[in-house]
Amino acid sequence: MKDLNKISTRLEIAKKKIKKNQIKDNGSNAASLGKALKISTELVAAVVVGTTLGFILDNWFGTKPWLTISFFFMGVATGILNVIKSAKNMHKNLKR
Amino acid sequence: MTTNPMHQFEVYRMGPEINLGAVNLSFTNASFFMAISALTILFLLFLGTKKKLLIPSKIQLITEMSYTFIAKMISDTAGSRAKPFFPFVFTLFMFVLFCNMIGMLPYSFTVTSHIIVTFMLAAIVFVGVTIIGFLKHGIKYLELFVPKGVPIILLPLIVIIEIISYLSRPVSLSVRLFANMMAGHTMLKVFGGFVVSLGLLGGWLPLSFSVALTGLEILVAFLQAYVFAILTCIYLNDALNLHH
Repeated sequence: MKDLNKISTRLEIAKKKIKKNQIKDNGSNAASLGKALKISTELVAAVVVGTTLGFILDNWFGTKPWLTISFFFMGVATGILNVIKSAKNMHKNLKR
Repeated sequence: MTTNPMHQFEVYRMGPEINLGAVNLSFTNASFFMAISALTILFLLFLGTKKKLLIPSKIQLITEMSYTFIAKMISDTAGSRAKPFFPFVFTLFMFVLFCNMIGMLPYSFTVTSHIIVTFMLAAIVFVGVTIIGFLKHGIKYLELFVPKGVPIILLPLIVIIEIISYLSRPVSLSVRLFANMMAGHTMLKVFGGFVVSLGLLGGWLPLSFSVALTGLEILVAFLQAYVFAILTCIYLNDALNLHH
């Protein structure tokens, strides 16, 4: 029993310490860095996938450059939309 | 000794050559380090859960922390309905984390710096999430590609854009992990080469860079595993709770 009481007082102290630290380093955590890294590849991947899709469809329908070109621009639009979407999500989470 | 910074990514065969039809199934150094990371995870979790102490030992603490870390991540991003997928996300996170971390040891091989490995992991996530979505919602899962409140004229364009966005998920997931690991390790090797070629006189500056980069790389190794796991959770959330 004595041991358990000791543990609970130690736990209380540790909890208080954690609370203090949490207030201090709010916002500069690893999670936000992860989100930043996430956005950069999203933009590129959409362009690559869009162009590849256009190229495959071009080979199917035999309309050589046109679908590749249009899907490239579609991919660029998708990438930008993706970035805007995740930025909006981050903003929403920040407000909460 | 080689100074080629890309030499560290070479895959070579260990042991005899095994051919199954046209497929080369030989045991390579990549498979070796994958096996090592899987065994390390098993060993760590086994040690951590062997003695269930009230005051946890250090290794038990690590195990419990990794459990709560992933459990919290899932409940934060995908809600309680994603709880059954905890083992999958936990396995994925631990595997990527240990592959990255073991790659940071000198003379080791970074499995995740090969795009085929990361793409395979991302493809498992992508195919799995798609199947879960269709099982859960049936044909209504295709509503994911038709956002609400879009004018009819714009709809075909938006649907194509949404499909490209959906298909780009595994690509961005795999390229992110692969590019970060490969770029980091190449950079470390390049700076290491500078230390050797500049010698005792000028080698101190790149050496200090190397030390700093090693710290950064350990952060990136953890961060990329974290991002991989959290994006899996987000995609699971899209499949389980169909709304925007």
